[in-house]
Amino acid sequence: MSTAEIIARCEELYEDTTFAASRAWKEAEPGRKVIGFMPVYIPEEIIHAAGMLPLGILGGGDELEVIHGDAFYQSYICRIPRSTIELGLTGRLDFVDGMLFPSICDVIRNLSGMWKLMKPGIYAKYFDVPQNYRDDIGGKYYQQEMQELRHDMEKISGRKITDEAISNSIKIYNEHRQLVRDVYALRSAEPWKVPSSEVYLLMRAGMVLPVEEHIPMMQAYIAAAQEEDRPMRDNCRVITTGAFCEQPPLNLIKSIEMSGCYVVDDDYMMVNRWLMEEVPTEGDPIKNLADAFLHHSADSSAKYSDTQEKVGQYLYDSVQKNKAEGVIFAAPSFCDPALLERPLLAAKMAENKVPHISFKYAENSGQMQPIREQTGTFADSIKLWGKEI
Amino acid sequence: MTTTIGIDVGTGCIKTVLFKVNGDQIEWVARRNDKIRQRDPMELTRRAFDEVIEEAGLTEADIDYIATTGEGENIPFSTGHFYSMTTHSRGAIYLNPESRSVLDMGALNGRAVKMDEKGKVLTYRMTSQCASGSGQFLENISRYLGIAQNEIGELSKKADNPEDVSSICAVLAETDVINMVSRGISASNILKGIHDSMAGRLVKLLRVIKANEGVTFLSGGLALDEGLTASINEAMVKMKVQGKAVSHPDSPYGGAIGAAIWGAYRYDKLAAQGSDLAKAS
Repeated sequence: MSTAEIIARCEELYEDTTFAASRAWKEAEPGRKVIGFMPVYIPEEIIHAAGMLPLGILGGGDELEVIHGDAFYQSYICRIPRSTIELGLTGRLDFVDGMLFPSICDVIRNLSGMWKLMKPGIYAKYFDVPQNYRDDIGGKYYQQEMQELRHDMEKISGRKITDEAISNSIKIYNEHRQLVRDVYALRSAEPWKVPSSEVYLLMRAGMVLPVEEHIPMMQAYIAAAQEEDRPMRDNCRVITTGAFCEQPPLNLIKSIEMSGCYVVDDDYMMVNRWLMEEVPTEGDPIKNLADAFLHHSADSSAKYSDTQEKVGQYLYDSVQKNKAEGVIFAAPSFCDPALLERPLLAAKMAENKVPHISFKYAENSGQMQPIREQTGTFADSIKLWGKEI
Repeated sequence: MTTTIGIDVGTGCIKTVLFKVNGDQIEWVARRNDKIRQRDPMELTRRAFDEVIEEAGLTEADIDYIATTGEGENIPFSTGHFYSMTTHSRGAIYLNPESRSVLDMGALNGRAVKMDEKGKVLTYRMTSQCASGSGQFLENISRYLGIAQNEIGELSKKADNPEDVSSICAVLAETDVINMVSRGISASNILKGIHDSMAGRLVKLLRVIKANEGVTFLSGGLALDEGLTASINEAMVKMKVQGKAVSHPDSPYGGAIGAAIWGAYRYDKLAAQGSDLAKAS
């Protein structure tokens, strides 16, 4: 199968705001259940171990017209809660048996409350993750939080979730995480063969497909991308950061690349990359997941840094690892976590002489010309006026 | 010696140039300027590329770097793309080394760029998306008046009592022109009024970027309109923007020239780094 065929399938899934693929999975066997979750991170293994489908809900994108959702939030608030409300009120998520709202910001916390009011019979939980990374404090708390989630998932699925089942799910997700890392590594090594818009669509497909289907899809993509011959262009290597919750429109991702940038790292679809190493499959699986969260999880603006020195270090490490020549701060309008930390990250880049620019977007931004001009001139300045001229 | 091609895909025309560059020695070998006229810009670009190579007596394999600019991001056979302010600045320095700012006046918008003596962009400003400061607007008006585009400049210079034309909106400006025609205003005075209105918008951009030294180079398709050049110089005096606006017979090629020269610079840099891109070409 060619990359074009795989990506065409991914794009079809991406554009479908009725979630037909996830509905089809549910209808294929009686008793199947679907649990929706918002960005940024949720331990999918617990849902999977209960035999249910974790469904990533990343707002309505640029195709969905928000009519009812605007009545729930002030106009200056980011768009993802409004378009998610729209998805809920228009029946697009009527097949979902529960919704998880991970701790990311106040807006999403409020959304979890609104969901409970909107859908009184449907399970909805604000899933809090630790802000303290000590095993005896944050670790203990997070294990309790996951045990509570496990109990809730058992109730919804009507199935006992054994330690063995969670460990089996961890094993499957370990394979998935490795393939995600492989895709990103391939793009960093040969970005002309792996456009960032394709990586994005491939990762988005994983939000609506069962992990068992997404694994072979990524394997097929990697094989096809390595096989195909695509022309290399004189683009500069950049990292985009700040887009971990509300996603940019696909055209924005394409525009950055079209304007002369190879994106060699990004923070879209963080749920796929939150746990950075293989999670052990021996011993207590809940403790293993908690240890991975505390000690081997990705840093980003969505995660608390306990010292000033650590803020932005992950970004500079990524610049070095991926040989990036610049950083593009692209964050949704009114995104508290991304925009509050941006000045600190920008200072870190300036301190290390890493060129950077910034702009804001909404998931339905339509005007790409100003963004192309901005990222294009940024790429020109890196290519032409680095240090030599 | 590095052989490069610069392709400026504009909204009205595609300009293609071939250069040979050896350090500071820059030789302009071949050129084409094709009006798009409802044709497929991709096909037209490929044809222009092939013809320029043929004119130079070369083959595609002899070209080290193919640089696009303007709307040429999607040209599939390009090596790299540079943005308009970058290329017009370098093109201006090539055509007039005294240039320290550029007014790029194209079919759809205008852009003022301030640069240093090497063509490095220091700052820039663009007109808004309304077409009233653009070549497309002027082309429409000349069509309504039944005047060929190459007659506009001369007629404008003969004006003795230019009319005020809206500089805010193309639709309002067109309405102004229709009223002027019905009032019996001469084509010269109408055109001069339009030139003054466009010049006002463009010189405002120069004032914002503080283009107060050296020559302001006029680039892009409108740069050969002598009437507009005169209006820009008058507006610069009126709005206290120092310096002088200067055009050049090859001004329409400014973007393509800059793309080709920057392409050569990039090729040499990539070759020095041992990049596969330089080896491949």
